[in-house]
Amino acid sequence: MQLKPKLVANRVRGGLAAAAAGLLASGHAKAQEAAAEAPATTVDSALLVYHEVNRVQAVEPVVNVSHKIDEDSTFDFGITADSLTGATPLGAVSSTLPQSYVRPYKVVPLGTPVTVTSASGGSTVVTVPPATGAKTETLAATTIVPPNTYPLDHGFSDRRVAGHLGWDQALTQNVKLDGGIAYSKEHDYRSESAHMGLSQDFNGHNTTLSGAVNYESDLSFPIGGTPTPLTQMNGDWKGPDATLHEIDALVGVTQVMSRRWLSTLSFSYSIAHGYQTDPYKLISVVDAVTGQPTEQLYESRPNLRRKESVFSDNKVHLGRDVISASLRAYEDDWGIKSLTADLRYRWQMSPVFYLEPHLRYYTQGAANFFHYYLVSDQAIPQYASSDTRLAKFHAPTYGGKFGVALNETSELNLRVEYYVQHGNGSPAGAIGQLQQQNLFPDLKAYTLLLGYTFAF
Amino acid sequence: MKNSSKRYLPKRFTEVFPGLAARPKVRLLGVLIWAIVAADCVACSTLGAKPWEHDLLAERAMQLDAYPIETSMDDHIYFSKEASSGGRSFAGGGCGCN
Repeated sequence: MQLKPKLVANRVRGGLAAAAAGLLASGHAKAQEAAAEAPATTVDSALLVYHEVNRVQAVEPVVNVSHKIDEDSTFDFGITADSLTGATPLGAVSSTLPQSYVRPYKVVPLGTPVTVTSASGGSTVVTVPPATGAKTETLAATTIVPPNTYPLDHGFSDRRVAGHLGWDQALTQNVKLDGGIAYSKEHDYRSESAHMGLSQDFNGHNTTLSGAVNYESDLSFPIGGTPTPLTQMNGDWKGPDATLHEIDALVGVTQVMSRRWLSTLSFSYSIAHGYQTDPYKLISVVDAVTGQPTEQLYESRPNLRRKESVFSDNKVHLGRDVISASLRAYEDDWGIKSLTADLRYRWQMSPVFYLEPHLRYYTQGAANFFHYYLVSDQAIPQYASSDTRLAKFHAPTYGGKFGVALNETSELNLRVEYYVQHGNGSPAGAIGQLQQQNLFPDLKAYTLLLGYTFAF
Repeated sequence: MKNSSKRYLPKRFTEVFPGLAARPKVRLLGVLIWAIVAADCVACSTLGAKPWEHDLLAERAMQLDAYPIETSMDDHIYFSKEASSGGRSFAGGGCGCN
């Protein structure tokens, strides 16, 4: 089934930090490169293995190629493929009783024999009674969740292919234009985007001001159709495809503070309009006394979301080692506020080897429509989601990277990281049996990233 | 001034992005960032390095996006697991639903 964890889509290469840094170093770097006849083509490749404990597993190869046409123009493209399997939370609460979940699975001609093994994840296929006169029928998959078990959908498997094209063009010695397009497709989601950016150097390539815009158009075509928000879960085929449009704008300044210190600061603003609900997520309605689920509704999120963030990154060269420290403050009109701090220390053990410990800390507040569950004797709100990614939590990442310079133009590196998400699994005021359930189990994930870069 | 921005934007555009037609919300974050940017621009003429001092800055480790694939993968993993995104660059490529 779907489940688009889209673990790693192409990041659109419209980042101002990259553009600015390239320009900042350009005066000196270009002179160096010309003198050394630097390679024109760089191939950057990586293989990601992502493992969530008891949940999503993913494998993803990526290749990016950058080719310098001349001193002023660079063309780049990249392709990504990923394969994801595993389990993801349904959004429903645990119960002391067994629970049954159903989802539409496939539409077939009326009378098609049902093969039980056609559904994955241990679910059972049932036929939804067709309407009178219908020529097709819907197959639905039912899953039984044992008592006191966090409800997960074990049945998903997804593959995705994504690619991007980009172009950087120096218009003058101090002005650079860049643009690109990106495309991503999986079996229930498609994304298309285009971006353009402009940067200008000042003060002898010591200051860069940058601006960029990005437009993205997405189409969601969930397996089973798009459910009507806050209607009860059932096996019927749902509504038509849904669209999402997003505009992002980003402005920033990058400053060479000294020979050893580079600093950047950017502000980004986004407006997304369209379908932003997760079509596969449920929210439980529980009995006001016992806390037992009485209904499972499809979640509901606003169609409009405005986001803004401030991001700052600093790099300090210690003569041999390099410290990188970044900070991001974020807020949106869904009520989410977050802070992200990231610290890396590149220990250059020798001209060939380096080791880079990494620490990241993330904390966020809850969306104003986040509820662990809804209560049967209370009015149903317009928007409600129990997706814990919209809950209040904090999440540290611990990692380390080891790199080897194979020669002057190639590098091999290996990075291992551990990410854990801690939320409140026992919220105050939990009703009845919910007091004995963990409503926010920790998410634990390991990533292994093998990277290889070479130039020719 | 109600819906004044509609006078400058095509009707269809504001239909797709009604947030653009709404009265902009002044946020502390925005004010803060522009104050910092302005201060930085004023200060930048006294900061920096001479052209012959850009040797360390030209090293790969000193580039703000030295390992773009790594940054891209991180951005999308976190985009798929957390409610925040963006800041460093645009995160393209879909919904990251699970």
